Amino acid sequence: MNRALPETLHYLEYITGNVMGAPLKLQQQQQSQHSYLNETQFNVFSLPPQATQVQQLQDLINNDSEVRELVNQSMKSDPGLENGWPDFGKYPIPRTGFATTSSLEMDYSISRTCTSPPTVVVAERDSVLTDKMASTIGRERFRKRKADKAQNPKVVVAEDTRDKRIKGDAEEVESEVTEQNNNRETSADKSKENSMVSEVQKPDYIHVRARRGQATDSHSLAERVRREKISERMKYLQDLVPGCNKITGKAGMLDEIINYVQSLQRQVEFLSMKLAALNPRIELNMDNFFAKEMFPAFMGSFPTVGNSSEMGNSAFLQFNPMQQVVTCGLDMAINPPDMALRRTTSTSITITLQQVQPSSHWETDLQSLYNSEFLQGRSAAFPSQPFTGALEANNLKMEM
Amino acid sequence: MCSRSSLEQEFFKKWVPGLQICSSLAKDMSFLERRKAIKLSADVAMATARDGKTCWSRALIANASKQEDKKIIVRTILGSEFERLTKSSIGSVVCEKRVRSKKILRKSCTTIRRVRKIRKSAPNRVLASSIAKRLVKKRTQVMKGLVPGGESMDEFSLLEETLDYIVSLRAQVDVMRRLANTLVLSIP
Repeated sequence: MNRALPETLHYLEYITGNVMGAPLKLQQQQQSQHSYLNETQFNVFSLPPQATQVQQLQDLINNDSEVRELVNQSMKSDPGLENGWPDFGKYPIPRTGFATTSSLEMDYSISRTCTSPPTVVVAERDSVLTDKMASTIGRERFRKRKADKAQNPKVVVAEDTRDKRIKGDAEEVESEVTEQNNNRETSADKSKENSMVSEVQKPDYIHVRARRGQATDSHSLAERVRREKISERMKYLQDLVPGCNKITGKAGMLDEIINYVQSLQRQVEFLSMKLAALNPRIELNMDNFFAKEMFPAFMGSFPTVGNSSEMGNSAFLQFNPMQQVVTCGLDMAINPPDMALRRTTSTSITITLQQVQPSSHWETDLQSLYNSEFLQGRSAAFPSQPFTGALEANNLKMEM
Repeated sequence: MCSRSSLEQEFFKKWVPGLQICSSLAKDMSFLERRKAIKLSADVAMATARDGKTCWSRALIANASKQEDKKIIVRTILGSEFERLTKSSIGSVVCEKRVRSKKILRKSCTTIRRVRKIRKSAPNRVLASSIAKRLVKKRTQVMKGLVPGGESMDEFSLLEETLDYIVSLRAQVDVMRRLANTLVLSIP
């Protein structure tokens, strides 16, 4: 078993040369800056440099859990993500980064890490920014005029006063926009309600500077709602995609998302290739497995133990009655090196050897063991000694 | 996190019969074909786990069931829901037509708009904003190519679909990785 492991690892390395061999390859080459790869890099740094290949295997497993941890952390910020399509409406209005086109462009100029824009554009944009803002506000004013002339003379008076103010400095314009932004931030209602309120307030409070930028035009209203929806979605995507916290701005975010999706798809391809290489074994196991009619039993056990993704693994353990012993060895490898635990796992191994058809008793035993292990010892660097020792013990027992 | 693990369990449950079929068909297939079959079974299982609620899953299943040789895999995985879920192929034809007409409209509109813009505003301003918009547009185009069935979606639903797609892709990768690891270790 020990001899076979390094061979299989070499074989795997040979056929992979791809993202999934990351923990091994990363030590050798410098990967490009995909955000997902950064995640795996982080995993590598957290582990000591390996000597043996058995330990590399353990680290592979370890990386799984660490990646899972990271993913869990990133997922925790969106508790209702998978189910929550109808719940999105309840979340508050996101930051004002996307609230107006002008501020959107401000964000572009502030942070451009992943995209490759011409630097000239950035410089230009800074100088042009104030003009742009004035022009947008002018445009809104124009639209407002159109709508209001049909309705309310009082509002026209308000707009005239506003015109005089707007003809002031660009700084004033900026402050107005920021005030509007602040007002939008402080109010937790949806944009429609805001504009409704502003519509009502206009005839009463002509002097109020707040909510000025919000046009009452149906077009701009719809536009604003659409923009805010999109920015909400972008926020969720930001939480989902690792490494997107520092990037604001639609283009950069989209870039990251594209990279992430592409890397995930490549991983799927690579893993399917790996499974295809192992395919003859799958055949064997499947036949054994389904021949013994364990499937209904294992289907039934899914909902019972309500613990998280380890359920999948315990299901795999039930797959191969022939190779249960070895997978119990996997079990032990993930244990923190602990004499008591080792004893219990060895007893469970003997049990499986005696009973070809594992009873539900053994299932729950193993499952509980597995769950406890995964919950406890994830980050420890596993010494190779107990693992090899366990495997040798398994071999002995198998020969018996 | 129970929703995520339940997604993984769901995916795995749907995937196992697909894997069975793949291994039974594996005798006469080359390595590459086997890989494609496994990948297809995984994708279809993932899409079925979503139960037809999302656009990308329906599009994926529709695409897969169009090819005759892969139909059997799809059929086994989907089981009883095969008929219901493949009916979306009709919808996709309509969507394609809509996409084409949209594209024609867009092209004509953008040329008109571009001419107008150049005349109206100063060249500096146009450069700044239009470059940003063009970048965003390019990227949305790329994303539409990535997400299955993304061509016929507007920007907002595209973002939603991408969100869902990322979550399910992650679950898929997790399950496949774990299966591969356990099988690797089980080599005597």
